[in-house]
Amino acid sequence: MKVLCERERLREGLTVATSVIPLKSTRPAVENVCLVATDHALELVGTDLDVAVRYRIDDVKVEEPGTVLVPARVAADFVRDLTGDTVQLRTKGETFLVESGSDRCELTTVDPDEYPVVARFSEDGSVPVLGSTFTRLVSRTSFAAAREQGRYAMHGILTQVEGDTLKMVATDGRRLAVATSAFEADATGAAPKASRAIVPSKGMQLFCRVIDDPLEQVRIHFGENQFGLKTSKAEVFARLIDGEFPRYTAVIPASTENLVEVETELLIRKLRLVANVTSADTRAVRLSLDKGKMTIFGRSAAMGEATTELDVEFEGKAGDIAFNPDYVIDGLKNCELERVRLEYNEKTSPGKFTLGENYIYIVMPITIDT
Amino acid sequence: MTSKPGEPRPQTASHIVELPEAVKNQIAAGEVVERPASVVKELVENALDAGAHEIRIDLEEGGVKLVRVIDDGCGMGPEDLLMAFCPHATSKLREVADLDHIASLGFRGEALASIGSVSRASIVSRTTDEAMGHRIENRGGEIGPVLEAGGARGTTIEIRDLFYNTPARRRFLKRTQTELARVLDVVQRLALAQLEAGFVVTHDGKRVYDVERTMDLAGRVRRTFGADLADSLVAVSGVDGTVRVEGLLAPPRFARRDTSRQMWFLNGRPLRDKVLVRVLKQAFHGFQVEARHPVAFLSLSMDPALVDVNVHPTKSEVRFREDRRLFSFLVAVLRRALSEADLATPGEDLLRTAWRRSEREAPQGYLPNPGALEPLRGGTVDPGSFRAREGTAAASERDLLVPAAGPRAPGVGETSGTFDVAGALGAAGEWGAQDAFEGPYLQIANTYLLRRLPDGFEIIDQHALHERLTFEGLKRQVEEGQVEVQRRLIPDLVELSRAEVKAVEAQLEALSASGIELSVFSPTTIAVQGLPALLRRPDPEAIVRDAVAALERTGKAPRPFELVEEVLHSAACRSSVMAGDPLTQDEIRALLSRASVLESDQTCPHGRPTRVRFRLADLEKAFHRR
Repeated sequence: MKVLCERERLREGLTVATSVIPLKSTRPAVENVCLVATDHALELVGTDLDVAVRYRIDDVKVEEPGTVLVPARVAADFVRDLTGDTVQLRTKGETFLVESGSDRCELTTVDPDEYPVVARFSEDGSVPVLGSTFTRLVSRTSFAAAREQGRYAMHGILTQVEGDTLKMVATDGRRLAVATSAFEADATGAAPKASRAIVPSKGMQLFCRVIDDPLEQVRIHFGENQFGLKTSKAEVFARLIDGEFPRYTAVIPASTENLVEVETELLIRKLRLVANVTSADTRAVRLSLDKGKMTIFGRSAAMGEATTELDVEFEGKAGDIAFNPDYVIDGLKNCELERVRLEYNEKTSPGKFTLGENYIYIVMPITIDT
Repeated sequence: MTSKPGEPRPQTASHIVELPEAVKNQIAAGEVVERPASVVKELVENALDAGAHEIRIDLEEGGVKLVRVIDDGCGMGPEDLLMAFCPHATSKLREVADLDHIASLGFRGEALASIGSVSRASIVSRTTDEAMGHRIENRGGEIGPVLEAGGARGTTIEIRDLFYNTPARRRFLKRTQTELARVLDVVQRLALAQLEAGFVVTHDGKRVYDVERTMDLAGRVRRTFGADLADSLVAVSGVDGTVRVEGLLAPPRFARRDTSRQMWFLNGRPLRDKVLVRVLKQAFHGFQVEARHPVAFLSLSMDPALVDVNVHPTKSEVRFREDRRLFSFLVAVLRRALSEADLATPGEDLLRTAWRRSEREAPQGYLPNPGALEPLRGGTVDPGSFRAREGTAAASERDLLVPAAGPRAPGVGETSGTFDVAGALGAAGEWGAQDAFEGPYLQIANTYLLRRLPDGFEIIDQHALHERLTFEGLKRQVEEGQVEVQRRLIPDLVELSRAEVKAVEAQLEALSASGIELSVFSPTTIAVQGLPALLRRPDPEAIVRDAVAALERTGKAPRPFELVEEVLHSAACRSSVMAGDPLTQDEIRALLSRASVLESDQTCPHGRPTRVRFRLADLEKAFHRR
């Protein structure tokens, strides 16, 4: 293999690939980056067996096609620290040379046959989405996904195509974020097929990473056991989470008796204020609602208590509801509206926050037995 | 009856005969005398019962060839000597009623007769008011006449060639060193129990153990088990009616796999009793790993009428009249003492391994990975900043030395005089001190926190400490009846057997009082509606299974508090900050200061230590400066 390419493009590609490649693996070949030179392109392949990326560099001069496996991190670090504009890559016997001007590095190689097979993106049945739509849906929901051990199905984001909308849902069993977005009209005009998959959070991060142009039309593909996304430069695949996502639709209250509207920034500030006292040995802050007024109260047996009041618009029956302030703040930080809406029925039933257009966030209350 | 009519056995007609006295004693000896150590025990106890103050024990070949016990007790006259080797002859008991208030060590009157029947024994004794001593011999049961003999006041008993006439027993004896170790164990226990007496042990002419008559318990522990243990002991003392307990308790790091360093003494008698092992286990519950046995030297004194010592021939087991009350009294006293113990200083082992590790790594030019030891954001360790803050550092040193007299009360001990008090209290006294939690902190491997102390440093396991914090918070909420319950968005379903679901169904209310809100979903499914909000990353299924296990084990309605102990113990561990969470300086400070207000922040609920403390002395030891 012998290739000449731009250093900056190579650096970028190696950075993306190494973000997937594990430091240690039970299959040592996977700790390498796979370079594939074809007629007019160089492809960098990295995988940790759950997530995989193919990053394509087009403007290269391929003198001799070929495939080589080299240690990923050393290659990436060396290329990053080079100063020349172009880099020549070539194999020499069992080793691999990286050369740029007077700088030169000779890396050991591994037999490419040991590398796992990484899929190719299948255009067939794929769905076009605007890059920014995809990343926005991920950032609106991913924070609510579960992190604790067990509950495997909640470690991902449920991604659904329903009619002409793309929907993402994440939950950890105590809160739930649901965001939807309409598809931009496809050139073909055909309605996409209804599809559904649980995509692991780690894969979602990588998908968002390769979308560097928010206005680009990317394509997504729901495979049998993996979810794929293709941009002009990269193809990324994530193995799907095989499990049953909680049936969340029943949790979202269809009608509510109490409605609060409050300035988002103000609510965040006031919640943080009271949460200073409660973080020690309690979790809950109590919101007491009455005509035009919300009182936030927090108490910790070890530390003391705190109260604050704020002006709100309130329709409903005066009463209390308590939440974990961290959960509420997590959602409010993503709120796209100046005034957030909270709806609920009673203090034991879910609180529904409207954080934006087609964007709702459900938080289960905390109840305190006395 | 197995013999058939008309088919008499080949033996003589008379089947049942009374055994000769010597054979009876040899059989009885099997119960009392197993090995040289039991001989020593019987003889030394006799000496102590005779009021001896100085006891000398000479041994040869681990005591198999010779056990000689010389005491300065009251001695025996010729009439007493004549009776000494007769079974059930004793000076300590006259009638059955006496059994109810036995204050002497021996009383059954079996020992000398038994020992004499399996060895060549001799006694030389002189009482205070006799001018001449007397001597009697017993050769494997053949008791000789009492003869006049010279001797110092007191009694000298020689037991030679133990088991020479019972080869079967002799074969069961172990190597010399093993037998010697057992003898020493017996003597050491007695020496720790009988603080009024001095002991000397020689083996083949060499002195192997001694304690002076004037030594107190701590001194004897130091002589017997070394300074490291003796210096770390905490005093125990308590009274409940006529029952009194005194002694010393070692911090958990000295705990052992066996109970050999748990020494209980009842009215001066060493004793091994399961109840007392349980007492210590209960007292250390939550302070150390379950499988280990704490080290303690505890002496009980109580009215002999409250305890039955005549349960076992070797008298090491007893029966207490009011064992429940005694149990809870002792546990309370011990826990109080334990709370003053220094649980942070690492054991020898840790130091040794730390030292060995550095020895191994140093020659390879070991340098810590700069990334791994990088100070936290905003926590750059810069020598200048230390110097600039010397004033505040000095102030916080003073704060740290506030004595235990005012536990966690700010402002106590501003005067310089408290320094001496704190010094005198030693390591244990500094606990409960005010601590400003001055940074900077280092976080190592996102798991351990390192913090400078005025006289060393400590390493904190952030996970273990957070576990303790979560657990204590939950306990408090349960006690106040104000458990915050985070309701589940979608109830988690847990599959159980029909019987388990029934058991849970009967206890829904008790579970709910602990913050575990369940409902029955189907005959084999439980739905988890809510869990305590303090658990950050709860695992509903594991919590339900723990609860079921707890219900099955106790078999009755658990009180909410017990359930917290059982279930939330492990739940707290699962939910807490996992090893691996990066923390900021502020978060670390908050964690430490929150933990400091707890009753105990030195172990996690499972008894793993939350912190390891290295003092200058430890460092000096590690670096061979002393």
